[in-house]
Amino acid sequence: MALKILLLEDDQQTSAFIEKGLRAAGHVVDACATGRDAIFHATDGAYAVLIIDRMVPSVDGLAVLKALRITGVKTPAIFLTAMDGVEDRVEGLEAGADDYLVKPFSMSELLARIAALARRPHLAQAPTIIRVGDLEIDLLKRNATRAGRAIELQAQEFKLLEYLMRHAGQVVTRTMLLENVWSFHFDPQTNIIEGHVSRLRAKIDRGFDSDMIKTVRGAGYMIDAPT
Amino acid sequence: MRRLSAFQSGAFRLALIFAVIFAVGATALVAAVNVAVSRYAGHATDAALVDESQLLRGEARAHGPDTLGQLILKRQRIVHARPYLYLLLDPLGRRVAGDLPATAARAGWGELSVAEFTEPNEPSDGQVTVRTYGVRLADGSVLVVGRDTSDLTELSDWLRLVTLWSGLGITILALGGGLLIGGIFLRRMDRVNQALQRIMDGAQDDRVPPIGMGAEFSRLTRNMNLMLDRTQALMDGLRQVSTDIAHDLRTPLGRLRQHLESMRDLSDPEALECAIDDALAQVDEVLATFHALLRIGQIEGGAGRARFEAVNLSAVMERVHLAYETAAEDAGKSFDAEIAPDLEVRGDPQLLTQLFANLIENALRHAGEGAEISMRLASVDGAVTATVADNGPGIPDAEHGRVVQRFYRLDASRSTAGSGLGLSLVAAIAELHGAELRLRDNSPGLLVELQFPNEQRSIVMR
Repeated sequence: MALKILLLEDDQQTSAFIEKGLRAAGHVVDACATGRDAIFHATDGAYAVLIIDRMVPSVDGLAVLKALRITGVKTPAIFLTAMDGVEDRVEGLEAGADDYLVKPFSMSELLARIAALARRPHLAQAPTIIRVGDLEIDLLKRNATRAGRAIELQAQEFKLLEYLMRHAGQVVTRTMLLENVWSFHFDPQTNIIEGHVSRLRAKIDRGFDSDMIKTVRGAGYMIDAPT
Repeated sequence: MRRLSAFQSGAFRLALIFAVIFAVGATALVAAVNVAVSRYAGHATDAALVDESQLLRGEARAHGPDTLGQLILKRQRIVHARPYLYLLLDPLGRRVAGDLPATAARAGWGELSVAEFTEPNEPSDGQVTVRTYGVRLADGSVLVVGRDTSDLTELSDWLRLVTLWSGLGITILALGGGLLIGGIFLRRMDRVNQALQRIMDGAQDDRVPPIGMGAEFSRLTRNMNLMLDRTQALMDGLRQVSTDIAHDLRTPLGRLRQHLESMRDLSDPEALECAIDDALAQVDEVLATFHALLRIGQIEGGAGRARFEAVNLSAVMERVHLAYETAAEDAGKSFDAEIAPDLEVRGDPQLLTQLFANLIENALRHAGEGAEISMRLASVDGAVTATVADNGPGIPDAEHGRVVQRFYRLDASRSTAGSGLGLSLVAAIAELHGAELRLRDNSPGLLVELQFPNEQRSIVMR
């Protein structure tokens, strides 16, 4: 899915690295180095996602996003920041950011988050039933079935499956799962995701000859309809 | 360091101020005495003159005015010391008797200058001031009695001299004393300053010698020494941490370097990719250490307290339990939780989550295969108390205080993974929340207890 992305980043090397990564993933990128340019472009062009570095000259990232939100620009935005203070993330989200990524980060992490953000508008319809292939979950009844067969899931497993299914066909990273399923906004040193995913996988894929939850090496996990 | 002279010492300056005050005071005192004595002597003179005059008039009334001239002559002879001078003029203004000049002839008080009276054979040169008292008698003649007041003037002059010299003397004495005391002070202060200079130059174990001379000075030097102790402890801590950072980062960076070097020889693309992933993981490890250090620094600086809110600690711990249950199971350990529902504390939910995650990870890492890890939350005497316990090797009592220091690791755990920062972060977060962190022996194993302040106290604290 090619997206039109606006990147605000003043450090040339970082900017070039991100641009290259985004282009390689098939996205179209407009890069600018000052807050003023970013406001000009973002109010004008129709972007799918804004990537905003928090510390840039002239108008800083926080102010840029606040200004954009006030003028009614609702484009999903990711903050990039070297600041990982206890309060920085909350401040960023309060300014109107939809996601927050601390430098240094891996390109796969950024790409996964961009994909997740671009998908967001569809969520506004708030479906009560999500289907991926023959797998189906009912958000109201909180039950899951595969090919009509009921699957017993614990609350956390259901939450994990729901998140994966909402982003079906997209790579979901370990940190995205930690943040969204467990509300862990730090990087635990133990790999706690693996165990949960393998248990979920065992429940969903047991008795079927195709695996729905795939491990994407060096990036994360993805749920997809078996082909 | 330039040596100070005694003149620049505080003691000398104080003495100088005192000397001036003394001098002014002495001058004022002597001046007051002078005025009082002069006035008293003046009154005495006046009274004597009036007495003499009345005596003469009494004689005149008793024996007739004509005898007055004789009487004056007689008195001039009798009163050998001759304190009195006389003048008697008849009604026509002719001198009848007396030695005052005719200009003194007037009623009432007067003052005039006459040639100093001397014995007949002595030369007379000076002038003396004479105070006179004149009365007009019934027959119209004038009687004037006078007295030499040069004694009074002399007394005054003498008193003025005394004032001058005593003022000068006191000032000089005070200055000398000041200089002496100033010198003593300076010598003692010099010793202190020399010690401080030595410490500034790098002799960190040196301390300030006592000044002596009083409790206030002892307290000053004692506090100085306590301050030096504290500074040194802080500096040692800082040095320790920077050395530890350098050491702890050099090891993984060195490993990474070897790793990258050996990658040069790889030709198989798959093996190369694997090696790159490995290298990235190692870099991430180093970054995680930096991240944890920054975090600890921020939390110790009090960051986050502004955003404190009521946190359902039960929910936080449930979440941590659910998150780590499978990881513990996969590692062949059991992890159970006994969490009282809906207990609240004031705090930052993210930091509290991280605190418990760190404690569980610590237990998972250090307690061996088959270990039992348990987490409890309860309200004990109104205070929310959480514990995380394991039955692993534990931490010797003597080390309990040190394991919360950055990078501190027990020798036994040197080889296991981890940054050595987990418990430091736990301690920092606990401190931020005003919670008391206690490490205990779980015999066997480690029991970490966290007691949160009850609401009442935490409100007062804010």
